Amino acid sequence: METEYDQVLHSVAQVKIADQINDSGDVNRDEDGVKVSCFTEVFDDVTLQFQIIRLTKQIYVWIGYNSAKFGNLYAAASTRPSNTVSVTSVLGGTSDNTGSGIARRLVMKAGLNIILACNIPKNNPLLEAKAEKMLIRKLIDLGYTMPTPLRAT
Amino acid sequence: MECLDANFPVCHRKVSLEIKGNKTEIVICSYDDHILVIATQIGAMGTILHARKEEGMSVEPTFSVSVIFGKRDEPMLVATARRLIDHISSHVPSKPLILSLGLKDHSSETLKEIVAAVDR
Repeated sequence: METEYDQVLHSVAQVKIADQINDSGDVNRDEDGVKVSCFTEVFDDVTLQFQIIRLTKQIYVWIGYNSAKFGNLYAAASTRPSNTVSVTSVLGGTSDNTGSGIARRLVMKAGLNIILACNIPKNNPLLEAKAEKMLIRKLIDLGYTMPTPLRAT
Repeated sequence: MECLDANFPVCHRKVSLEIKGNKTEIVICSYDDHILVIATQIGAMGTILHARKEEGMSVEPTFSVSVIFGKRDEPMLVATARRLIDHISSHVPSKPLILSLGLKDHSSETLKEIVAAVDR
Protein backbone atom coordinates (compact mmCIF):
# COMPACT_ATOMS: atom_id res chain seq x y z
CA MET A 1 0.00 0.00 0.00
CA GLU A 2 1.40 3.35 -0.97
CA THR A 3 2.06 5.69 1.89
CA GLU A 4 1.63 9.40 1.57
CA TYR A 5 5.40 9.67 1.50
CA ASP A 6 5.54 7.32 -1.49
CA GLN A 7 2.89 9.36 -3.27
CA VAL A 8 4.86 12.56 -2.77
CA LEU A 9 8.04 10.92 -4.02
CA HIS A 10 6.21 9.64 -7.06
CA SER A 11 4.90 13.08 -7.95
CA VAL A 12 8.34 14.62 -7.48
CA ALA A 13 9.80 12.02 -9.84
CA GLN A 14 7.19 13.00 -12.41
CA VAL A 15 8.20 16.65 -12.15
CA LYS A 16 11.81 15.71 -12.93
CA ILE A 17 10.79 13.82 -16.07
CA ALA A 18 8.80 16.84 -17.31
CA ASP A 19 11.88 19.07 -16.81
CA GLN A 20 13.97 16.66 -18.89
CA ILE A 21 11.53 16.87 -21.75
CA ASN A 22 11.71 20.67 -21.70
CA ASP A 23 15.48 20.51 -21.55
CA SER A 24 15.59 18.58 -24.79
CA GLY A 25 15.65 21.90 -26.56
CA ASP A 26 12.12 21.80 -27.93
CA VAL A 27 10.34 25.06 -27.48
CA ASN A 28 7.35 24.60 -25.22
CA ARG A 29 4.73 23.05 -27.48
CA ASP A 30 1.96 24.93 -25.77
CA GLU A 31 3.39 28.18 -27.03
CA ASP A 32 1.80 28.34 -30.40
CA GLY A 33 2.33 31.93 -31.34
CA VAL A 34 4.83 33.36 -33.71
CA LYS A 35 7.65 35.17 -31.96
CA VAL A 36 9.41 38.08 -33.63
CA SER A 37 12.76 39.31 -32.26
CA CYS A 38 14.62 42.29 -33.67
CA PHE A 39 18.02 43.62 -32.68
CA THR A 40 20.83 45.76 -34.03
CA GLU A 41 24.60 45.44 -33.66
CA VAL A 42 27.00 48.21 -34.59
CA PHE A 43 30.73 47.78 -35.03
CA ASP A 44 33.49 49.29 -37.21
CA ASP A 45 31.09 51.73 -38.94
CA VAL A 46 28.91 48.82 -39.94
CA THR A 47 25.34 48.42 -38.75
CA LEU A 48 23.92 44.92 -38.82
CA GLN A 49 20.24 44.48 -38.19
CA PHE A 50 18.72 41.11 -37.36
CA GLN A 51 15.13 40.00 -37.41
CA ILE A 52 14.28 36.51 -36.19
CA ILE A 53 10.77 35.16 -36.66
CA ARG A 54 10.29 31.90 -34.82
CA LEU A 55 7.60 29.65 -36.23
CA THR A 56 6.88 26.30 -34.63
CA LYS A 57 8.81 24.24 -37.15
CA GLN A 58 10.92 26.85 -38.91
CA ILE A 59 12.93 29.94 -38.24
CA TYR A 60 12.96 32.91 -40.59
CA VAL A 61 15.93 35.26 -40.27
CA TRP A 62 16.65 38.55 -41.96
CA ILE A 63 20.10 40.12 -41.80
CA GLY A 64 20.35 43.74 -42.88
CA TYR A 65 23.69 45.42 -43.68
CA ASN A 66 23.44 49.20 -43.29
CA SER A 67 19.97 49.24 -44.88
CA ALA A 68 16.57 47.61 -44.68
CA LYS A 69 16.77 45.99 -48.09
CA PHE A 70 15.43 42.47 -48.21
CA GLY A 71 18.44 40.95 -49.97
CA ASN A 72 18.81 37.39 -51.18
CA LEU A 73 16.60 34.62 -49.88
CA TYR A 74 17.91 31.15 -49.06
CA ALA A 75 16.16 28.07 -47.74
CA ALA A 76 18.10 25.42 -45.86
CA ALA A 77 16.99 22.15 -44.30
CA SER A 78 18.40 18.86 -43.18
CA THR A 79 17.69 16.16 -45.68
CA ARG A 80 17.31 12.44 -45.26
CA PRO A 81 18.80 9.90 -44.90
CA SER A 82 21.92 11.14 -43.22
CA ASN A 83 20.78 14.57 -41.95
CA THR A 84 23.12 16.45 -44.26
CA VAL A 85 22.07 20.04 -44.64
CA SER A 86 21.06 21.27 -48.07
CA VAL A 87 20.66 24.91 -49.00
CA THR A 88 19.14 26.56 -52.05
CA SER A 89 18.84 30.10 -53.29
CA VAL A 90 15.16 31.02 -53.52
CA LEU A 91 15.28 34.66 -54.56
CA GLY A 92 18.21 36.73 -55.78
CA GLY A 93 21.56 35.18 -55.01
CA THR A 94 24.67 35.98 -57.00
CA SER A 95 27.14 33.27 -57.87
CA ASP A 96 28.99 33.65 -54.59
CA ASN A 97 25.92 32.86 -52.49
CA THR A 98 26.65 35.24 -49.66
CA GLY A 99 24.52 34.00 -46.84
CA SER A 100 24.01 30.43 -47.96
CA GLY A 101 26.77 29.26 -45.66
CA ILE A 102 25.12 31.04 -42.75
CA ALA A 103 21.82 29.35 -43.54
CA ARG A 104 23.48 25.91 -43.63
CA ARG A 105 25.21 26.36 -40.30
CA LEU A 106 22.09 27.75 -38.68
CA VAL A 107 20.23 24.57 -39.55
CA MET A 108 23.01 22.55 -37.95
CA LYS A 109 22.77 24.60 -34.78
CA ALA A 110 19.01 25.01 -34.55
CA GLY A 111 17.85 21.66 -35.92
CA LEU A 112 14.99 23.44 -37.67
CA ASN A 113 14.51 24.47 -41.27
CA ILE A 114 15.82 27.97 -41.88
CA ILE A 115 14.71 30.63 -44.33
CA LEU A 116 17.34 33.35 -44.43
CA ALA A 117 17.16 36.73 -46.16
CA CYS A 118 20.45 38.56 -46.20
CA ASN A 119 21.74 41.67 -47.97
CA ILE A 120 25.38 41.43 -46.91
CA PRO A 121 27.56 42.39 -49.89
CA LYS A 122 29.60 39.70 -51.57
CA ASN A 123 33.32 39.10 -51.11
CA ASN A 124 33.14 39.92 -47.44
CA PRO A 125 33.70 36.67 -45.56
CA LEU A 126 34.74 38.40 -42.34
CA LEU A 127 31.51 40.31 -42.19
CA GLU A 128 29.55 37.16 -42.91
CA ALA A 129 31.35 35.34 -40.13
CA LYS A 130 30.71 38.18 -37.67
CA ALA A 131 27.03 38.31 -38.56
CA GLU A 132 26.77 34.56 -38.16
CA LYS A 133 28.45 34.63 -34.78
CA MET A 134 26.08 37.34 -33.49
CA LEU A 135 23.10 35.52 -34.85
CA ILE A 136 24.03 32.21 -33.29
CA ARG A 137 24.70 33.87 -29.95
CA LYS A 138 21.24 35.42 -30.08
CA LEU A 139 19.61 32.15 -31.09
CA ILE A 140 21.23 30.46 -28.12
CA ASP A 141 20.03 33.27 -25.84
CA LEU A 142 16.51 32.90 -27.15
CA GLY A 143 16.64 29.14 -26.67
CA TYR A 144 16.11 28.28 -30.31
CA THR A 145 19.17 26.06 -30.67
CA MET A 146 19.52 22.35 -30.00
CA PRO A 147 21.79 21.13 -27.23
CA THR A 148 23.51 18.72 -29.64
CA PRO A 149 23.84 20.30 -33.08
CA LEU A 150 23.38 18.27 -36.26
CA ARG A 151 26.64 16.98 -37.58
CA ALA A 152 27.85 17.82 -41.06
CA THR A 153 28.67 14.58 -42.84
CA MET B 1 1.81 50.02 -40.62
CA GLU B 2 2.65 50.64 -37.03
CA CYS B 3 6.25 50.20 -36.02
CA LEU B 4 6.50 48.12 -32.90
CA ASP B 5 10.10 49.19 -32.45
CA ALA B 6 10.89 52.76 -33.47
CA ASN B 7 14.64 52.13 -33.62
CA PHE B 8 14.45 49.21 -35.97
CA PRO B 9 14.24 50.06 -39.67
CA VAL B 10 11.90 47.20 -40.52
CA CYS B 11 8.30 47.68 -39.39
CA HIS B 12 6.29 44.61 -38.68
CA ARG B 13 2.76 43.76 -37.64
CA LYS B 14 1.44 40.50 -36.20
CA VAL B 15 -2.14 39.28 -36.51
CA SER B 16 -3.54 36.16 -34.94
CA LEU B 17 -6.92 34.82 -35.99
CA GLU B 18 -8.91 31.66 -36.44
CA ILE B 19 -10.00 30.55 -39.89
CA LYS B 20 -12.34 27.58 -40.14
CA GLY B 21 -11.13 26.31 -36.79
CA ASN B 22 -7.44 26.59 -37.68
CA LYS B 23 -5.26 28.97 -35.71
CA THR B 24 -3.63 31.31 -38.22
CA GLU B 25 -0.71 33.60 -37.56
CA ILE B 26 0.01 36.43 -39.98
CA VAL B 27 3.16 38.53 -39.88
CA ILE B 28 3.62 41.49 -42.21
CA CYS B 29 7.08 43.06 -42.53
CA SER B 30 8.00 46.10 -44.53
CA TYR B 31 11.53 46.28 -45.88
CA ASP B 32 13.03 49.03 -48.05
CA ASP B 33 12.38 47.20 -51.27
CA HIS B 34 9.92 44.40 -50.46
CA ILE B 35 6.89 43.61 -48.39
CA LEU B 36 6.91 40.22 -46.70
CA VAL B 37 3.66 38.55 -45.64
CA ILE B 38 3.81 35.25 -43.75
CA ALA B 39 0.50 33.43 -43.16
CA THR B 40 0.88 30.15 -41.35
CA GLN B 41 -1.36 27.49 -39.87
CA ILE B 42 1.21 24.69 -39.92
CA GLY B 43 4.06 26.35 -38.05
CA ALA B 44 6.15 26.70 -41.19
CA MET B 45 6.38 29.12 -44.06
CA GLY B 46 5.05 26.66 -46.64
CA THR B 47 4.86 27.87 -50.20
CA ILE B 48 6.63 31.14 -50.98
CA LEU B 49 5.41 33.34 -53.82
CA HIS B 50 6.80 36.47 -55.38
CA ALA B 51 4.52 39.10 -56.87
CA ARG B 52 5.31 42.42 -58.49
CA LYS B 53 3.47 45.12 -60.33
CA GLU B 54 4.93 46.09 -63.64
CA GLU B 55 4.27 49.57 -64.92
CA GLY B 56 4.03 49.25 -68.63
CA MET B 57 3.13 51.53 -71.48
CA SER B 58 -0.55 50.77 -71.26
CA VAL B 59 -2.89 52.34 -68.74
CA GLU B 60 -3.65 49.02 -67.13
CA PRO B 61 -0.86 47.73 -64.91
CA THR B 62 0.30 44.16 -65.27
CA PHE B 63 1.25 41.86 -62.44
CA SER B 64 3.81 39.13 -62.41
CA VAL B 65 3.19 36.41 -59.84
CA SER B 66 5.23 33.25 -59.43
CA VAL B 67 5.84 30.50 -56.91
CA ILE B 68 9.49 30.58 -55.90
CA PHE B 69 9.45 27.79 -53.31
CA GLY B 70 6.94 25.03 -52.66
CA LYS B 71 3.72 23.96 -54.37
CA ARG B 72 3.58 25.04 -57.96
CA ASP B 73 0.30 23.36 -58.82
CA GLU B 74 -2.08 25.36 -56.64
CA PRO B 75 -3.61 28.18 -58.68
CA MET B 76 -5.50 29.50 -55.63
CA LEU B 77 -2.22 30.44 -53.97
CA VAL B 78 -1.16 32.37 -57.06
CA ALA B 79 -4.57 34.06 -57.12
CA THR B 80 -4.17 35.08 -53.47
CA ALA B 81 -0.77 36.60 -54.17
CA ARG B 82 -2.22 38.43 -57.17
CA ARG B 83 -5.06 39.81 -55.03
CA LEU B 84 -2.66 40.96 -52.33
CA ILE B 85 -0.17 42.66 -54.66
CA ASP B 86 -3.09 44.46 -56.26
CA HIS B 87 -4.10 45.83 -52.88
CA ILE B 88 -0.58 46.54 -51.62
CA SER B 89 0.56 48.27 -54.79
CA SER B 90 -2.24 50.78 -54.40
CA HIS B 91 -0.64 51.84 -51.10
CA VAL B 92 3.04 51.24 -51.78
CA PRO B 93 3.48 51.24 -55.54
CA SER B 94 7.10 50.25 -55.93
CA LYS B 95 7.44 47.35 -53.54
CA PRO B 96 7.07 43.77 -54.71
CA LEU B 97 5.47 41.25 -52.40
CA ILE B 98 6.88 38.08 -50.97
CA LEU B 99 4.04 35.96 -49.70
CA SER B 100 4.48 32.82 -47.69
CA LEU B 101 1.45 30.59 -47.23
CA GLY B 102 1.73 27.63 -44.88
CA LEU B 103 -1.88 26.56 -44.76
CA LYS B 104 -3.73 23.39 -43.80
CA ASP B 105 -6.27 23.89 -46.54
CA HIS B 106 -6.20 25.95 -49.69
CA SER B 107 -9.91 26.62 -49.96
CA SER B 108 -11.07 29.95 -51.28
CA GLU B 109 -12.75 30.82 -47.95
CA THR B 110 -9.47 30.47 -46.08
CA LEU B 111 -7.59 32.53 -48.65
CA LYS B 112 -10.26 35.22 -48.69
CA GLU B 113 -10.02 35.54 -44.91
CA ILE B 114 -6.26 35.88 -45.14
CA VAL B 115 -6.54 38.61 -47.76
CA ALA B 116 -9.12 40.39 -45.58
CA ALA B 117 -6.85 40.17 -42.52
CA VAL B 118 -3.88 41.58 -44.42
CA ASP B 119 -6.01 44.33 -45.95
CA ARG B 120 -6.93 45.47 -42.47
